[in-house]
This record gives sequence, structure tokens and C-alpha cells, in this order.
Amino acid sequence: MLKRVAITGIGVCSSLGFCEEEILSNLKKPGVLFSASSFDDGVAVCPVHDFNIKDFTGRFKQRRYLNRGSQLCVASAIEAIKSSGIKQDAWSEAGLFIGSGPNLDIGGEFPEVKKGEIDHDDLMALWMLKFLPNTAASAIATYAGIHGENLTINTACAASMQALGEAFRKIKHGYLNLALAGGGDSRLNPGGILAYRKAGAIFSGSKNPDNASRPFDTKRKGFVPGEGGAIFVLEEMEHARMRGASIHAEICGFGSSMDGYSMTAPEPSAQWGEKALLSALHEAGMSPEDIDVVSSHGTGTLLNDAMEVNLLHRIFKDHHPHVIALKSWIGHIAAACGAIELAVVLACIKSNYFPRIRNLDEACHDKINFAREDKKIAGRTVLLENFGFGGQNSAIIIRKVDN
Amino acid sequence: MNAEILDKIKEILAVILDVEKQGITAETYIIRSLGAESIDLLEVAVSLNSEFKVNITENDIFLIRLREQITEAEEQGRDTGKYLAKTLPFLPRSRIDEILKDLDGGPVLKVKDIVCYIDRAIK
Repeated sequence: MLKRVAITGIGVCSSLGFCEEEILSNLKKPGVLFSASSFDDGVAVCPVHDFNIKDFTGRFKQRRYLNRGSQLCVASAIEAIKSSGIKQDAWSEAGLFIGSGPNLDIGGEFPEVKKGEIDHDDLMALWMLKFLPNTAASAIATYAGIHGENLTINTACAASMQALGEAFRKIKHGYLNLALAGGGDSRLNPGGILAYRKAGAIFSGSKNPDNASRPFDTKRKGFVPGEGGAIFVLEEMEHARMRGASIHAEICGFGSSMDGYSMTAPEPSAQWGEKALLSALHEAGMSPEDIDVVSSHGTGTLLNDAMEVNLLHRIFKDHHPHVIALKSWIGHIAAACGAIELAVVLACIKSNYFPRIRNLDEACHDKINFAREDKKIAGRTVLLENFGFGGQNSAIIIRKVDN
Repeated sequence: MNAEILDKIKEILAVILDVEKQGITAETYIIRSLGAESIDLLEVAVSLNSEFKVNITENDIFLIRLREQITEAEEQGRDTGKYLAKTLPFLPRSRIDEILKDLDGGPVLKVKDIVCYIDRAIK
């Protein structure tokens, strides 16, 4: 028999804050969210302030091998475990599903590279761990004593949503009762910014960083890179109810696909993105009319948003779910964007408050119900979507559950 | 004991093992008390090499072959203390005697052993 899957713990380290209350409060506060990069003032960034991994781990020598994205991931996992109230010995059988990105901080790790000679005095014996994709997962497993089925997923900006989807299915199909899933990423270092700037993906040349991210606006010119982590405790519904857990939401369906079209650009007709969305709806046993809110990928790049509006229009036709674009608030957090957007969505459905799309003056499509204002909406069912470099498509559907 | 070397070694151990430097003395057991594992010793060796510009033989500096060497001495019918003084020449004879009385307590490696190794290597 197929199982239902509940979200029973949340850990988040984001530019909007480290818990649901802080996220909501900062979504409602008028204030500056983005700033100019310290080494490239034409580039706007969205950093996490006041983050020190040691505040989360205490004494934990494995910390030395964590790049910043992994640090944000591990800290989020520790908070998720705490928030679930699940006792230490239960984690032994749990699963672990992490979306991670590459460490692009090449200059920071090898500050004096000359003629390809990368060795230097401060280089650790196991410096490679800072570059291996599963280092965050390894640290989390060591910290929490996790020994179950696991995956580290590196599918660019779809990675953490796919991690959530894979964990969801492992529980749904009875392989696990309990799992941690989500991700962490940071590319706000010179190597990361250089990579994005050369690829022409980020907004560059802004005098006002706060206006740089404008998803679905006709004047959009690229995304604002952010950083952060979010990890969730996923639990089989009866398992959660038996222990009286507080249930933040139910995961109802998931879908993923690949464009097989370009190394970077999305396939413009979005036929394969559509496949991912329809798979998620099918698995959830829902029709497009059941969706109240869409948390769009909405990067604010010309190509993504053009593809995404066509997709949304085709899927939803005359039904007009409320479309939000959280990257206008938290920047684009690459491999971790899906997890952090889910954390924000969970804060929103709990309070029935959904924020407007920032800087959306003139929409690039007139048939989509974009969130033009901050709104109180009793949205119970949310479709979240993420698309990534390499033609990675993913979608997940969550539903509010009355405890 | 060379105080400057001791101080630098304490600093290296504090960073790698994520412990307070003030809690480390020359008499602190590195494995038994600070919980160092082989991966940590690997990092310590790299840091010592970079700090003191000396080649580190991990088997020697971390007394990795100590118990094997004791068995070798016994099998060859030789005096264990004298044998260890030859295989681990950087350790004073008084320290070797101390180690031989301490074997039942677990891994014997102390901070001062590393200080002795570095001190000799520099000279």
C-alpha cells in the first residue's frame, strides 16, 4: 500500500532568517534585501548574514571540510532534526537526500595559483573534501548517526527539489519511514560570480541592487545570486501521527524530466518541463484546478521566464492560480533554491500570507495571475517548480494538513 | 622542552580537532583524550610539515608502529626499552619508560612526543 508523506521538521538558513517567524516578518518588512557584491559592485547579491556554523554544530571537527554551501546545509539539517523532536536513536534507520552544487570558490581555496601549481602551505591533506559533492551528506550522517538509503543529487538548480522528490518516493513506496531531505549552496564568492557573469546569467550594472531581480517583468535582465540552506524531516504520515508530530504539510506528488536540448538554455516550448509538472499532478491525483498557488522558478532571466509563462499558461488555461516568484526576495540559491523556496512557502501557507513579486511593473504575459500585491490567501495546495542548467526540470506539490 | 614549538603544536591541534587551545598541555593524550582519528593525524602531519618545514614520517611521529615494535623486541629477545630508543630516537629514555608502564591505558601518544620529534627534526 502506498504511504502518505508528511513534513514534520524544518531547518532553514536564509537571507530572510533562520526560522518561520523571521522569514514572515522579513517578508512583510519594507527594507533592503540585496546588496552590491563586495568585489564586483555592478553585481547584486543576497547573502545570509550573521551565520556561523559553529553556533549550530558546537565542537565538530568535520566542520573544516565544509565549504560555505555545505555549512549552510549541515546547519539546516541540525535545526531540522531538533525541530522534529525525533529522538537520536530513530535516526539510525533514516534516509538522507541532499541537493548540492559545485564549490566554485576556486580563488578562495587556491589563492596563489601560478602556472597550475595549486599546492600551498594552508592546503589541508584532504582538501578535496571541500569539492566532493557528498561531503555535506557525510557530515550530516556523522553528526546524526544516519545509516539508511541516501542520495546526493547534483542536478544544478533542480537538485534540492529532486532530493525532496526522491525522499518523498522512498517513503511513499515503503522503503523508509523517515528521511532528511533538502540542500544548501553558496556561490557568492569571486569564482561563482565570475562563472555566472561570463555565462551572462546574472544582472550586472545595477546602481540599485534592490531593483535588480525582476521576475516576469518585461525589463528583466538576469538573476541575483543568493545563498542558503533548507532541510526538511519527511515522515510517513501514520508514523508522524502516532508520535503526535506537528505536520507542516503533506507532499502529494513529484515529477522530473530532462529537456535533452541545450547545456544551459531551457527548451523554449517547455514541452519537457510540462512533462515534469504533469507527472507531479498525476502522482498527486490532482488536476490543474486543484492548485491554489504556484511558486514559480522565476529567475528573472529572459529565457527562463519566457519559457515558464508559456508553460503555466498551457497547463492552467482558464484556471488562474496565484503565481509567486520568491527569487525576487531571496535571490537564486542555485542547487538549494527548491528547498529554501519550500521553507518560505511553508511559512506562507501557515499564515495564509503570500508576498508580491518584487519589481514586477510590466508583466511579460497577460494571462498569468502574478502576485502583484502582498496578499492574504487561504492557499492550501501549492505547486513548486524549479528548472536548471542542463535542461533539468522538476516540480513538487504540497498541501496544507490540519493537525 | 621547547616552549615555542609546544605552543605552535597546541595551536595546530586546537584548530584541527576543534578544541580549546587552553585545554591542551604537553601531557595531553592526543588520541586517548582529544579523540584524534587517523584522518586528523593526517591533517596534523600536513600542518606540521607546512609550519616547521620538516619532513614528517607519520609512523614515527604518531608512534603508529609502537606496539608492533614492542612485539619485535620481545620476539628477538631484546630489551624493549633499548629497542624503542633505537626505533624512536627522538624520545628521551625517561619517556620510553613512562610509555612502557602506560600501555594498558590505550594509545599513549602525548603532545610532548610530537614536540620532541619536531625539536629533533629541526636540529
